[in-house]
Amino acid sequence: MGKRRVPDVDLLDLIDAVQSVADGMLFGTTYALLGIGFTLVFGVMHKINLSYAAASIGAAYASLLILAGVKAPAPVVFLMAAVAGGVIGAVVYLVAFKFIPLANPLATLMSTVGLLLLIDEIIVHATAGVPLNYPALFSDVLIRMGPFSLRGDLMFVFLLGCLCMAGLLYLLYRTRLGLATRAVSQQPVAAQLCGIGITNVNVQTFVITGVVGGIAGAMTGAAIGMLSPLLSLPLTVKGLIVTVIGGLGSIPGAIVAGLLVGGLENAFQFLRGVSERDLYIMLLLFAFLVFRPGGIFATAPGRE
Amino acid sequence: MDFYLGLIQIIGVHTLIGLSAYCVLLTGQVSLAQAGFFAIGAYVAGMLTVLWSWPLIPALAMAALAGGVVACAVGFPALRVKGLMLVVATLAFGEAVRLFFFNFTYQMARGEIRIGPHGGEGFKQIRYFPENGWTTFDVVIFIWVVVVLVMAALWWMDRSRTGAVLRAVGEDELAAQSIGINITAVKVSAMTIGGVIAGLGGGIFAHYTTHIEHVQFGVVLATFAIAYPILGGLSNVFGTLIAVIFIQGFLIEGLRFMGDWRNLLFGGLILLAMNVRPRGLLDAGTTLALKRLIDRARSGVARMKERTSA
Repeated sequence: MGKRRVPDVDLLDLIDAVQSVADGMLFGTTYALLGIGFTLVFGVMHKINLSYAAASIGAAYASLLILAGVKAPAPVVFLMAAVAGGVIGAVVYLVAFKFIPLANPLATLMSTVGLLLLIDEIIVHATAGVPLNYPALFSDVLIRMGPFSLRGDLMFVFLLGCLCMAGLLYLLYRTRLGLATRAVSQQPVAAQLCGIGITNVNVQTFVITGVVGGIAGAMTGAAIGMLSPLLSLPLTVKGLIVTVIGGLGSIPGAIVAGLLVGGLENAFQFLRGVSERDLYIMLLLFAFLVFRPGGIFATAPGRE
Repeated sequence: MDFYLGLIQIIGVHTLIGLSAYCVLLTGQVSLAQAGFFAIGAYVAGMLTVLWSWPLIPALAMAALAGGVVACAVGFPALRVKGLMLVVATLAFGEAVRLFFFNFTYQMARGEIRIGPHGGEGFKQIRYFPENGWTTFDVVIFIWVVVVLVMAALWWMDRSRTGAVLRAVGEDELAAQSIGINITAVKVSAMTIGGVIAGLGGGIFAHYTTHIEHVQFGVVLATFAIAYPILGGLSNVFGTLIAVIFIQGFLIEGLRFMGDWRNLLFGGLILLAMNVRPRGLLDAGTTLALKRLIDRARSGVARMKERTSA
């Protein structure tokens, strides 16, 4: 007799906690992709594109609307989202960045905010505010590993995210386009002197980040199961937090931070419930800003 | 008539939050936390008048003080981050404040019913104005007296050395430091002043809407807060006022006949404005031109007076 905690309950809790974190990390690849998009634009243009998450969701919506009449298989929808994302990315550059002088960071901040509002409203108008179902692959697959189970659709999201990241890293570090992008991000004037066209590189950067964003939007839709215009603001906030925690301008940082935030988000949700979850993510951000303002992989300080 | 009075109230309160962002923007910091200070002011003032029956002016003063104290506390760690990371940090802070109030419940029993902030439901029954016999018109006058006082204070500050110091830090921190300006003190002071104004605005807001909830203090309000000074131009306080009147008066209310298309136009117009006039509606060039116009008019009137008296 006496007070003896039933060991089974503790073990179940532990299993649930690990399960939550694992699920969260798998979903965290979408945050990582969004973080990569934010950080890439910041690295190349030293400006933040606040409309990025909205454009990603918009690309996912566009893929649904373009293929509305056709009963297309899920991979085609995802591909369409990527293509739509690239097109939207180029439009974003043209409309919000091209014609504003570089010395005006406030103006580009505001213009991307205007674009965020515009994209949100276009989505609401086009869909009458009704959330749309998004196709998912392998949603009925459930791999069991002992007491844990891995959802097939989340695994697919994770794998596709990893593929996307690998492709992006290959593009940046093994191709001429990537070389030009990195050159412009480090020294725009010197890059121009070497004959690299700034406008071209900027457009290409936005198209690439747009494609990544389109995939992120599609993955978010696939993981959640539906798309809603309400997603854009929370995703913007989370994406920006991931970017800052990973270090502005650092792609590996965005990847690690995305997985970290994804996993911790679910851990906090498991421990303290949904309503307080985001509060702890903000506290995590503040902890980073106080103790490590450069982020996980702080880029070496260059000439300001 | 009540509708237009309500609109004027909204314009007044939004001018206050716009001015609070203006203060911080002068030093080159983009702060998306003004909505958070606004929320703190709103809840503090509401709780003081409703739960502890404080009179209005001391409650608003406490709200402003609370906003200022929190802004000061936010200002110090904010110094460690520059530029765009500050945007994210302040955005996260604003969201954290909103989430805090989403979870905040503090109720007292007043006879049969319980009053006070109640988590997601918000804070209902902030009935100071109706209970004390203020009409809508009284409230409008009160709000605008406060707005005019704040604008006058900021205008005076702009014309003094303080304004020059703030703008110097905003333009070029390195140069400002090299002439001996204490960057830390300036930035934190600007943040604190912004917090005071936002807290005051929040307190007033809570009383005229009588029901506040966390949703009202989200990213959208924070974005509006910085939109007003950026769209209006940072050269003087009237830019912010004009931007608020334009956005709230013309875009949101005046185009109401357009129905849902109005929201599309809103984002599109911001985009257009930033492309065409990146420095805002009332930028330095326009202010100078207006000043010359006023001077010419004044000298013209003086000359006419001379001629008629001679």
